[in-house]
Formats: sequence, C-alpha cells, structure tokens
Amino acid sequence: MKSHIYIIILLLIVPVQASLFNPLSFAGVKPDLALAVLYIIGLLTGPVEAALAGIGIGLVQDISSASLIGLNAFTRGLIGLCAGLLGRRVLDISSPSNLIFLIAFSLAEGLFIMLFIQVFYGSVPIVNMFFTSILPNALYTGVLGILLLRFINSRRALNMLKRHALQKEL
Amino acid sequence: MPEFILKHKRSFILFLLFMILFWLVTVQVKAGRLTFMEKPVLSISGFFERVITGPFRFAESVVNGYFFLVRTERENGRLKQEVEELKLETSITDELLIENERLRDLLGFKKQHPPESIMAQVIAKESSPSSRTVTINKGADDGVEKDMAVITPAGVVGRVQTVLSGTAKVILLTDPGSTLAVRVQRNREEGLLEGKISTCALKYVSYYADIQEGDLLITSGLDGIYPKGLPVATVTKVTKHEASAFQTVLAKPAVGFSRLEEALVLRK
Repeated sequence: MKSHIYIIILLLIVPVQASLFNPLSFAGVKPDLALAVLYIIGLLTGPVEAALAGIGIGLVQDISSASLIGLNAFTRGLIGLCAGLLGRRVLDISSPSNLIFLIAFSLAEGLFIMLFIQVFYGSVPIVNMFFTSILPNALYTGVLGILLLRFINSRRALNMLKRHALQKEL
Repeated sequence: MPEFILKHKRSFILFLLFMILFWLVTVQVKAGRLTFMEKPVLSISGFFERVITGPFRFAESVVNGYFFLVRTERENGRLKQEVEELKLETSITDELLIENERLRDLLGFKKQHPPESIMAQVIAKESSPSSRTVTINKGADDGVEKDMAVITPAGVVGRVQTVLSGTAKVILLTDPGSTLAVRVQRNREEGLLEGKISTCALKYVSYYADIQEGDLLITSGLDGIYPKGLPVATVTKVTKHEASAFQTVLAKPAVGFSRLEEALVLRK
C-alpha cells in the first residue's frame, strides 16, 4: 500500500475512533476501528507490511492514551502479522470467514491485555469482563469490519468492471 | 548463522522489533509509563478531534436549541419548583455549615474552602484495549494543570494526565494507571482504588475489614489530588480468600463514563 495512505491512517485513526465513533457506542461498547482497519491491511498486503502497520497504529494509540508505550503496538503488530499470513495463504477479502477471524483476533487481544494486567497488577475480574466488555466489543468490531470489507469489496468490483468496460471500448 | 539471518532479514528485524516492544512494556511496569512524543502526537490528534467534532457539536447545538425551545415552558415550571425546594435545603445546609465552622474553630481545625473549578466539555473518548482516557476542551490556556482532579455532580471522573494549550487528556478512574485513596463512607475503612478497564478494585483492604456490597466509597483526600468526601464508586462484589491477608473488593464508578459529556476540573 502507498505510504501516504499509511500516513493518513496514522494521523486519523485515533481522532476518528475517539470522536466520530462515540455516537456508535452502545452501553459503553464501541467498535474498534483500528483493529478492523489493520485486519483489512493484513488481507490486502502481506504479513511483514501489516505487522509494521500494526506496530505503527498501536504506538500512536499507546502514546495518545494512558497505556504503557508498546503494549498496543505489540498486540496490534502480532494481529497484523497473523492477518497478513491469513490473507496470503487462506482468506481473501470477500470470504465470510473474515467475521470469525476478526472476532477471534479481537477476543485474543482483549484476553491477552486482561491477563497482562492480572499478572502485573492483579485483581482483574476476567470472567465478568469477558462477558461484559471483551466479547461485546469483539462482536461489534467484527460487524464493523465486515461492513468495511463489503464496502471495499464493492468499490474494488466497481473499479474492475469499469476497467473491463474501458478495455472493451479500446 | 549470518547467512541465515541475511536470508530471513525482514523476519529477523520484525522478531527483534517485537522483542524490543515487549521489553519496553515490562520495563514500564516497574519504572512507570514513558511519555516520549506525547505532546506532538496529542497536538495532532487533538487538532483533528476538534475539526471532526466541530460540525457535530454545531448540529447537536442547533437540534438541542430547537427542542429546548419546545420544552422551555414545562421545564420552567419544574425548575421553579426545584428552586424553591433547593432554597429550603440551602438554608438548612447554611445553618449546618455555620455550626460546623463554629465547632471546627472550637476544636482548632483549619478552615476548608471549596476549590474553584473550570467547566469543560468532553470532545473525545479514547478506549484503546488497555487504557481509558477522555479529552476535554480546556487546557493550559484556561488554567488546567497536570494532576488536577476532574469531577461531575455524580462523583469523581479522574485526573488530568497531559495538558496542551487548548485541550487536556484526562485519565479515567477505570484506567489501569489510575490509583486514588478512598474510604468507605459507612465505617471509614481506607484503601486504594485501582482501575481495571471496565471496573475498579479496592486494594490493600484487610481480611477482617467490614466491607459490604452497596457500600459507597468516597475520596479520603490522602493522595493530595482529590478533595476529601467526593463520591467515587459503589462496592459491587466482596471476595474473601482464606489464604490471603487481604480481601478482593470490586467497585462500580459513580460516574457513567459512557454518558459523560461535561466535567469540572478542580483548581489546586
């Protein structure tokens, strides 16, 4: 993907997630735009590029929040790497299995962070948080990701049709 | 070995990057959070947040203004009645304050003054998986400083973490980096309340301390950030472990962060 697209993503991902996605919040549950975008980058590019994009996005999120610097960069880098491997070997952008993988990545990340906090700070009600926060967030993110993928897929199909028609005319 | 590394150079660099990130995180657990690049990144995201929220706030104010006009008469009647009730309450409270002050004078206590506050609007709510913060539209230009307490009439919201000229980042009670000194209103038991992403946990509460579900936790004022007596959270679960000297106490913040729109920043 072109570098200016990455710059736009890095500049806008935090403000868009923090301000534009607030009205989408439902009982404190908000879809994770950064994760959905990263998953799509993984499917469209490759493991190394997606991992680096994940590290970049995660670092911006870490710096602009109160999180430990590197925690989101680490988890998002790994997600980018896995999404890139999936995109290269198993899935394509129109596969319905994307919903399951996106939810699985979101769940895995949420659980990893919960366990991290439990190990280093203690007293985390993991079971309670899984059902009230991590699972609803993952489902919501999965739905958002699928909608984004459908949008991108339709745009791609539209562009392909246009290109095909142009070639016929020529 | 060097040949192997050269052959898989990109994978090796990526592996090294992940190792560095993990090391960086574990170092911060003990040494505290790093703050490098914070101000430039927050300036950029703050700028875009204001640009993005500007039109939405304008549209919201127009719609609210219309509905406000429609409801004004009914609201006016209700508010008049409320003012009368509050007048009565204030006169009783004034009497109690005077009595309290007189008794404090008698006992030789220092006089307490309510802190001045700055009204702020929440312009963005960040919720990365490992953190809970909000951005407010008041910054250093308005007198906001680091570590000032942020509250609403319902209770404590959090404290100011980073200040820019026109905005400030507030770390919420539920953020894992948030700690505040509290006491149980009912029996004055003390403890430290820590954020756990979607809830809070009261730490260092003795196994024998009498804490019950539904108890209200208020600020104790011992941390030097929050004034004494503000509502903080309500105890939702108490678990006692035979093997531990402490009990596990979970608490739900008094403020609903998902509906947070305005807040008061308390001057020091």
